[in-house]
Amino acid sequence: MTYVRAAAAAFYISMRLRFISGFAIMGFLVFPLILAAVGLFVLNKPGTTATQWTYGLLGGGLIGYWGITYLDAGNGIQIERWNGTLEQIFAVPTPLWVIVLGKALGGLVWGMLSFIPTIALAYFGFHALLPQLDAGRFAISFAVLTFSFLAIALSLSPLFAMWRWAFTMINGFELGTYVLCGFMFPITILPGWLQAISALLPPTWGTRALYAATTAEGPHDFVAWWVATVGLSLVYLGMSVFLFRLVDRRARATGELALV
Amino acid sequence: MASPAIEVRDLRKKYVTHRGTFRRTKTENVALDGISLAIRPGELFGLLGPNGAGKTTATKILTTLLLPDSGSATVLGLDVVRQTSALRRRIGFVFGGERGLYWRLSGLDNLRYFADLYGIAPDVSKRRIGDMLKRLGLSGREHDKVEHYSRGMKQRLHLARGLLNDPEVLFLDEPTIGLDPVGARELRLLIRELADAGKTIFLTTHYMFEADAICDRIAVIKKGSIVAEGTPGSIKQLVEDLGVVEFEAAGVSPDRLRILRELPGVSSVSVADHEMAQLVTVHCVRPADVMTQLGVILEGIELQRVSSRDPTLEDAYVQLVGEGESQ
Repeated sequence: MTYVRAAAAAFYISMRLRFISGFAIMGFLVFPLILAAVGLFVLNKPGTTATQWTYGLLGGGLIGYWGITYLDAGNGIQIERWNGTLEQIFAVPTPLWVIVLGKALGGLVWGMLSFIPTIALAYFGFHALLPQLDAGRFAISFAVLTFSFLAIALSLSPLFAMWRWAFTMINGFELGTYVLCGFMFPITILPGWLQAISALLPPTWGTRALYAATTAEGPHDFVAWWVATVGLSLVYLGMSVFLFRLVDRRARATGELALV
Repeated sequence: MASPAIEVRDLRKKYVTHRGTFRRTKTENVALDGISLAIRPGELFGLLGPNGAGKTTATKILTTLLLPDSGSATVLGLDVVRQTSALRRRIGFVFGGERGLYWRLSGLDNLRYFADLYGIAPDVSKRRIGDMLKRLGLSGREHDKVEHYSRGMKQRLHLARGLLNDPEVLFLDEPTIGLDPVGARELRLLIRELADAGKTIFLTTHYMFEADAICDRIAVIKKGSIVAEGTPGSIKQLVEDLGVVEFEAAGVSPDRLRILRELPGVSSVSVADHEMAQLVTVHCVRPADVMTQLGVILEGIELQRVSSRDPTLEDAYVQLVGEGESQ
């Protein structure tokens, strides 16, 4: 019960801090909107298929959703470090993973807001619709995709707590994931060796299921994609358990928590 | 006899840093070089030392934030390396400076958040936060954002956070640093009150008068080693055979200071900037002899003030940590 309350407190505080942060508001409102607008302008021509419209309609929101979740995992830890609060939250009886879980859930809720402006733009600006949407499969796909984002956020956070330099890699990995997980275009257009890397990232399969649920064009291997997403996410969660234990030893050995 | 609240045995810690990308060079800095301490329950213990002496490292090891390389430490009988979760519930800590708070949230939000992270029941935390705000003079400002607090208020908020879980042992790492004299004095009184109420307090500072005023016992740390330990009175006795000569002058060259240091009976010479002049403090066995020699050594330099006095705890500290290292 105390862990639930602690996670809820971390969730609440992370939401409060976002509401008063201009950068956080830009993150869910402006950046996804720009990306969605670019995608939709490119697609806004005769002959655009339903599948292509799906990427334009959902891609911007998905990028915002991922970006916020991912940035929260890394940037959230880095901001704690800059504030000097990383040591404080590390030294409480509540394990760090509980606090990070609360913060990551806050990131997910905030990230979902990215879909509001992007879908509104697609609908009102381009009259883009998804007439073949399978609502049930879409909802399940969205849920497993969300689970995969959470798994990645939880497995990345310990790295940021352990190593300050991990923060410097944040942008590269964030942008790389857009491409590798097929947020804006199908991964089938990527070289084979990149597709192999994509296959190891749980959001790849969740994204594929999500987009497939919006169109009648096949293939439609939903169960396999959901199992792949959840299975890989569980592997990442397993890794995060190991990494949080490692943080407890390594960050305390090096004193990195106090360094800015 | 009650078992110690804090027991440290041969604690060692070094920091390893690397430089360069292609030609990596490794540097090792010894922060703690085998310190041992035993602090009784209810004692207000001061660890004194110059910057970089190892005070903060010792505090962080005892608060479970750092791992020692070797040696052992227990707080309330709990091992600081292995029994962290149980220990964290029973200790509090406050680090000096303004960081460590969520500036864009209110003081109340900061306290509520940490109360939840400490697993304090909501009814208990509500009552305790109210008491704390009143006791620390933050009532009426608890809804203000921390960024609008003065430095003293931030430090009191730090202390409130450190006391949220009603800790049996409280660690205070230079808590008065940067505070104005009135704020620092109020905080010292509060710390003394907490000790009188039965809390064990481990205080680090480099302000001698602070340690002298409130600590039951002190240890002086230098380059990671304890060089003296005892009551403030007993530490002063270490220099009771010494006298102190102080003078103010401008433009005393390093060569003249060297000559001064080499005089028979002089144990240390320290120099501090004092407005437009230098304040030179000489610790020596025979102050009268030194005063006689000053005229010769400092020929051509106008001395603004020369005086001789008995040694204080600060003089003992300067003797112990060595000239030029005292802050």
